[in-house]
Amino acid sequence: MDRDESNCAENTLPGDSAPLAAYAPLRPLTAYLLGPVDFDTLAAFQRRLVYEVSGDRDRGAVIVCDHPVSITIGRDGSVAHIRPSAEQLALRGWPVRWVARGGGTMLHVPGQVTCYPILALDAFQLTAGRFVKELLAVAVDLVSEFGLTGIADDQCPGVMVAGRRLVHIGTAIRRGVTCYGLIVNVNPDLAPFWDVRCDGASLPMTSLARESPRRVRITTVRQRLVELLVARFGFDRMSVFHTLPTSGPQARHHAFSHGS
Amino acid sequence: MNDSRYVPIAVPELGSSSIRFSLWHVAVGDAVVEGDRVAELVIPGAVFDVSAPVSGTLVARAAQPGDTVVVRQVIGTLREDR
Repeated sequence: MDRDESNCAENTLPGDSAPLAAYAPLRPLTAYLLGPVDFDTLAAFQRRLVYEVSGDRDRGAVIVCDHPVSITIGRDGSVAHIRPSAEQLALRGWPVRWVARGGGTMLHVPGQVTCYPILALDAFQLTAGRFVKELLAVAVDLVSEFGLTGIADDQCPGVMVAGRRLVHIGTAIRRGVTCYGLIVNVNPDLAPFWDVRCDGASLPMTSLARESPRRVRITTVRQRLVELLVARFGFDRMSVFHTLPTSGPQARHHAFSHGS
Repeated sequence: MNDSRYVPIAVPELGSSSIRFSLWHVAVGDAVVEGDRVAELVIPGAVFDVSAPVSGTLVARAAQPGDTVVVRQVIGTLREDR
């Protein structure tokens, strides 16, 4: 993960006599490894990170979390992929959101790892299509670490294992900066996937726990996913946080006014 | 003296052979600033915001939601403010 020291020694800062081509900026990644985060909180935090990265394009960020039960519909999705009626969804407490991202309909449940990489495509010499392919490659590498052969679906991006989707991909690029990303089914209850045809697939999604002969732990999946992203996109260093920046200690009233 | 210049909004290189025009964020007659998002494109797995190449006013739309488009295709025109 660390930059090659010999290369660092040869690099010089802009303004020195050496050509600019010799200067390679550091690429730090800030990783937020969070627990359950409701979708609205995630969206607000993600917007903030996109804004920050758009002004400091060599850095990157990634949010890893999971969401309470809900359904999101991307630009290629449809309500036709959701079997329960609106009334049944309301009774179950499954909110439905239309989201400005690629990909289709997705069911969010505990037991998934949701990973939103935020990086400036121009700083990494990537096109949008190339970025999606790189995410697919990360997902295939991830499932292979659990003894599975994943098949990348580049028409409806995601990874299939044993004929069923295991990873969903749906991203957006704003101001040249990526947001949203991929969702891996680690060990969720798979029964609800009969009710939502994720990405329009006819068969319900599967999971690492269902398919893998190995022990599957959600913490391992989170960690390996971030490590694979670091390697794939060539980040030099990583800072890890386990809380949202806004969820630290809050100022509290410590004195109360008294009636006179 | 009319000092207007007309600047096309073109589909950028997205690294995909399958590009669909999704929607306009601005209407004809709206003023935009260089860098504002003006339209959205969809490729498999991603949506992409197209930015205004210059500051000006949108004067024409050449693509509609659902259209298949190709790289460098003109999807609209801006009249540059000078």
